[in-house]
Amino acid sequence: MNRSLQKLRRSLMTRGMRYVVGLALILGVVMLYLLSTASTNTTDVGNDLPRLLGFGVAIVVALLLLVGFQLVLLRRRLKARIFGSKLTLRLVIVFTIVSVLPGVVMYGISVQFLAGSIESWFDVRVDSALESGLNLGRVNLETGLRELQRKADSMAVSLSDGEMVTPVSTLNELREKAAVNEAALLSADGNIIAFSGVESEQLMPVVPNPSMLRQVRLQQPYLAVEEDGASKLRLRVAVPVNQPGGETQILQLVQPVSERLARDAALVQEAYRDYQELSLSRHGLKRLYTLALTLSLGLALLSVLLLAILFSNRLSSPLGFLAAGTRAVAQGDFSLRQPVHRHDELGVLTESFNAMTDQLSEAQRAAQHHQEALSAAKAYLESILANLSAGVLSFDKQFRLRASNRSAEKILGADLTQLIGKRAENWTASAPRLVNIWQVARSRFVDGAESTWEQQIDVDTQTGKQVLLLRGSQLLEGEEKGYVVVFDDVTKLLQAQRYAAWGEVARRLAHEIKNPLTPIQLSAERLERRLAEKLDASDSDVLNRSTHTIVNQVSALKDMVNAFSEYARSPEPDLVPVDLNALVSDVLQLYEASRPRLSVELGRDLPAISGDSTQLRQLVHNLLQNAEQAVAEVSQPRIIVRTWMASDGVVLSVSDNGPGFPEQMMARVFEPYVTSKARGTGLGLAIVKKIVEEHGGSVTVSNPESGGALVEIRLARATGMPDTRQAAINQ
Amino acid sequence: MLGVLLLVSVSLARADSIFVQSVELTPENGDYYLNASFNIGLTPTVEEALNRGVALHFLVEFALIYPRWYTLYFWNKRLVELQQTYRLSYNALTRQYRLSYGVLHQTFNTLENALSVLGGLSDQPVFEAALLDEDRVYEAQLRMRLDTSRLPKPFQIDALGSDDWDVSSSWFRWTIGR
Repeated sequence: MNRSLQKLRRSLMTRGMRYVVGLALILGVVMLYLLSTASTNTTDVGNDLPRLLGFGVAIVVALLLLVGFQLVLLRRRLKARIFGSKLTLRLVIVFTIVSVLPGVVMYGISVQFLAGSIESWFDVRVDSALESGLNLGRVNLETGLRELQRKADSMAVSLSDGEMVTPVSTLNELREKAAVNEAALLSADGNIIAFSGVESEQLMPVVPNPSMLRQVRLQQPYLAVEEDGASKLRLRVAVPVNQPGGETQILQLVQPVSERLARDAALVQEAYRDYQELSLSRHGLKRLYTLALTLSLGLALLSVLLLAILFSNRLSSPLGFLAAGTRAVAQGDFSLRQPVHRHDELGVLTESFNAMTDQLSEAQRAAQHHQEALSAAKAYLESILANLSAGVLSFDKQFRLRASNRSAEKILGADLTQLIGKRAENWTASAPRLVNIWQVARSRFVDGAESTWEQQIDVDTQTGKQVLLLRGSQLLEGEEKGYVVVFDDVTKLLQAQRYAAWGEVARRLAHEIKNPLTPIQLSAERLERRLAEKLDASDSDVLNRSTHTIVNQVSALKDMVNAFSEYARSPEPDLVPVDLNALVSDVLQLYEASRPRLSVELGRDLPAISGDSTQLRQLVHNLLQNAEQAVAEVSQPRIIVRTWMASDGVVLSVSDNGPGFPEQMMARVFEPYVTSKARGTGLGLAIVKKIVEEHGGSVTVSNPESGGALVEIRLARATGMPDTRQAAINQ
Repeated sequence: MLGVLLLVSVSLARADSIFVQSVELTPENGDYYLNASFNIGLTPTVEEALNRGVALHFLVEFALIYPRWYTLYFWNKRLVELQQTYRLSYNALTRQYRLSYGVLHQTFNTLENALSVLGGLSDQPVFEAALLDEDRVYEAQLRMRLDTSRLPKPFQIDALGSDDWDVSSSWFRWTIGR
């Protein structure tokens, strides 16, 4: 906004400046013309010289101000380091030198020449020749005057001689004899007594003037060259005529100067006057011409300077744009365009620049589009990989890890991203199972030269064995040759299959075994009842004991079969919010009379868990029975039951101070029929595990360092019903 | 009818080359007539130019002003403005000075005579008496000066800012009323 405003103002200013310069030039030329005509004495327009000069000076001052203003602007731009201003300055300097030097030289020569030529107009000889000519004229006139005076004197004598009867005719006669144009006899006070003239129509003499009368009255002759009305010269002579009576009369003779003489004299006088005027005004002339020259020089130079500044600005302004554009392009902004108004190389350059930025921005857009598409595709692939439940590992040709997905990390229990690009030797510490996979993959890919393969391997983990199903394939296409291994953790799957198989076996076994048990027991009791009285005491005793054993063993067998069927039946749990503490204390009431000391530590404010209370009771029973059996042969048996709240739910732990789990059984302690006890189905912990898993929880067994065994069960808290009171009600 | 006469100023501050010796406005037959005499002294430069044939034009300017108290001098209403031009020249051939006013002319043998005649202004009708309102005071102005704008151009250049060519009187002002 601000920028465009400034631009507008600037363009307006430039345009205005152009008009100002044009106007100044026109005015300057007009003024110079007027000045040059001023020296010739015309009465034209340029008559008012001072005003004209003042006008010229005003123009010069105005131009000076403009130039100063422009220079100040230029300086400001230089200081602001605006691109192109240095070029402008240089152009201005060059233009100025180019125009000022010849101008000043011409000016100096002109002034010198002017002074010389004006001086050369004046010449002593011309001066004296004109003076002489003038003198010649004067002498000539004077001679004429003397001649006329002589005639007048003689006429005066004739007139004063005797009585005149008719003065007019006498005068006429005398005048004709003397060949004078006009003669008049006047009284002392100027009244006409007689008049005679050549031209008959002239009735009156030339009017006598007072000074003449005065002079003649003093008996002095009056001689004068006069101009008549038509600016012709005439000679006038007046002499006294002293009449015998003592009266003084005046004789006035007038004779026009001969036409030729008059004309010549006038010409000489004219020339003399002009020459004198010129010579008088030479100082002024020099000043005038010098002034005119100086003014024109000033006008020309200042106009040129102003034009130079304007042109320089015009020349360098595209540079400013190009600089700004280049900077913008360097910063990644391809949006700058400059309209092109010129057809020279700079215009072409600007156009090319515009085209370049166009192409750049187009290319940038395309690249961005492309990249976005790529990254979207990549993100899609990654999300697929990440959400695969199978672990994916890829190796390069040197069997360095190249990539892995989240599931791989989860299955292998290691942060694989740290291992990317490293060799297998470095993996052992942080991901030992990865090494197993790597070994298999290497042997299958390299030693076996198979491009696809499938293999199931067992690996050891801290919590037991893990079974991994590996599928390998070699990447043959594309630039990146390498290997991909996809694997699944099938441990649980296998376990579940085994449990299911066991359950089926147990169910059938129970069914098959249970059926003959009752007949066996009934048969044994019938044998005893029928034969006991028939036999003697010793045989009867044997029978009694044998029958008793059969019945006891059958009953034990029934129990066992019941346990089997219990395990195999596995009803679906009915999950409701349950208060674990209440449930545990409920179960513990049954064990109050038992021999080992029971200590109970129930956590406070436990949240309700979601579970099937029947199964949970079974679970607690199983754990307590196990513990009781474990401490059966310990001198100071002790069982601790604890509950507490953990971050992910509620924990129930049962620990005893028995012998603990045998080390070799640790891995398979939850499998059915695995037992350390002489008499036991081995189903206790298996059922516990089954119940816990059906509740979505986890169970761990360990032998604490303080001795004995510890079983910890984590159960998830009930969702949506955190209130324990609500749980109690449900219970 | 009251004629106002004011007079004799041996004029003051600036050393004017022309000054007004006397001035008289006389009402007669319904017109006012101006009588005045100027003492004219030419500067040496002007005199030399005259003697070398340069014609001099003298202007006699008269103005009648109705002063208004609330305006500045320049905007005063000028009731009458008169200008008379006299031409004084020298004929080198006849060695005579010639004074012209319109078609009238007079020749003089000496410059003094010519100047004294030039300086005498007699019975010039300037305005009608009817122009003046009664009970009003008017201001009259009179001055005489050499018209430098009618000199040849080079002399005009010389005359710029130079005292040599300054032959003029300052305005002589006086008040009149009916």
